[in-house]
Amino acid sequence: MKRFVAGFLTGVLGLVLVALVCLRFGFADVRADATIPAWLARWLNVSAHASVLRQASSLPAFVPATDANVIAGGRLYLSDCVGCHGEPGKPPSDFGATFYPPAPQLALEGTRYSEQQVFWIAKHGVRRTGMSAQTDSYSDEQLHLLAAFIARMPRVPSNILTEIRQEPVSAAPAAEPKK
Amino acid sequence: MKNFLHGFIAAIVILPVGALGYFCMGFADAQSDVAPSVLESRMMGAAVHAAVARSATKLVAPIADDDVLVKGGKVYVEGCQGCHGELGKPFGEDHSHYPRVPQFPYTGTQYTEPQIYWVVKHGIRMTAMSAYGRFYSEEQLWSIAAFLHRIRTLPPGVAERILTKSADAGASH
Repeated sequence: MKRFVAGFLTGVLGLVLVALVCLRFGFADVRADATIPAWLARWLNVSAHASVLRQASSLPAFVPATDANVIAGGRLYLSDCVGCHGEPGKPPSDFGATFYPPAPQLALEGTRYSEQQVFWIAKHGVRRTGMSAQTDSYSDEQLHLLAAFIARMPRVPSNILTEIRQEPVSAAPAAEPKK
Repeated sequence: MKNFLHGFIAAIVILPVGALGYFCMGFADAQSDVAPSVLESRMMGAAVHAAVARSATKLVAPIADDDVLVKGGKVYVEGCQGCHGELGKPFGEDHSHYPRVPQFPYTGTQYTEPQIYWVVKHGIRMTAMSAYGRFYSEEQLWSIAAFLHRIRTLPPGVAERILTKSADAGASH
């Protein structure tokens, strides 16, 4: 038994040491312009999803899904998110593809996160990705509107899309106060 | 000896499986609005620096004069300062990215010119630094590198030239 424990500890130490040496001497590939392997993308997705699920489970109810709310959220999306996450009806974002992991193309693929989870992600960001916390830029109310819109992609009715695009983005009532 | 080997193998199997389970069950925090620990920052900072140094050893920076610095500075003002800190403005700390985005006008950088060129071109994995090789020419990339390397020690007059020229050119920004 003593020997087993000694072997176990040696194994743990060995693994940690190997990892540290690899990092310290620059053997970790840091290039963001390589394609991410499918297994890594999936595993990162699973762990981020599980973590968000764990933390965003007790959030207040979202805003009613009226057309007006979805439109207000859509205008926020068009003014600030399309650069990385893609615009509805347009090809995927070139810029979003240059991150590692790449930014999800919400306009094309939608999202498997619930509305509350989208709110949580937009507010708090996701570590070790290009997704920053938006809590300084937007109020909770605005982020709820945004989540209402994002949760409805990629199948946003075309009449709503037209209305989102109609008014200049800066005229959107919800997009004004940038604290 | 046999028991020692069993223990060793158990550790090598259990540690990765444990780590995988830890992540897959959502125990790793996701939110980026808190600062990474000093330990993590230092460890990962050193790892990135070592990897970049290893990759960029064969690159040689072209010689940069004041015009190149101005050119690089203008690219910085147009494309980089939204995240990395505005030139000539008071220090604003980044508190929305994880890891934190370095604020170059105040901190400068420990990276050499070829290393900066390499980072801007290829980006850094698992950070908000994306790869700009598709968007900037080689000449632009080297001019950014020359500028960033000297951002805290710009020759007299260069900062003024960068800011005045980009004021009219960057009206759409």
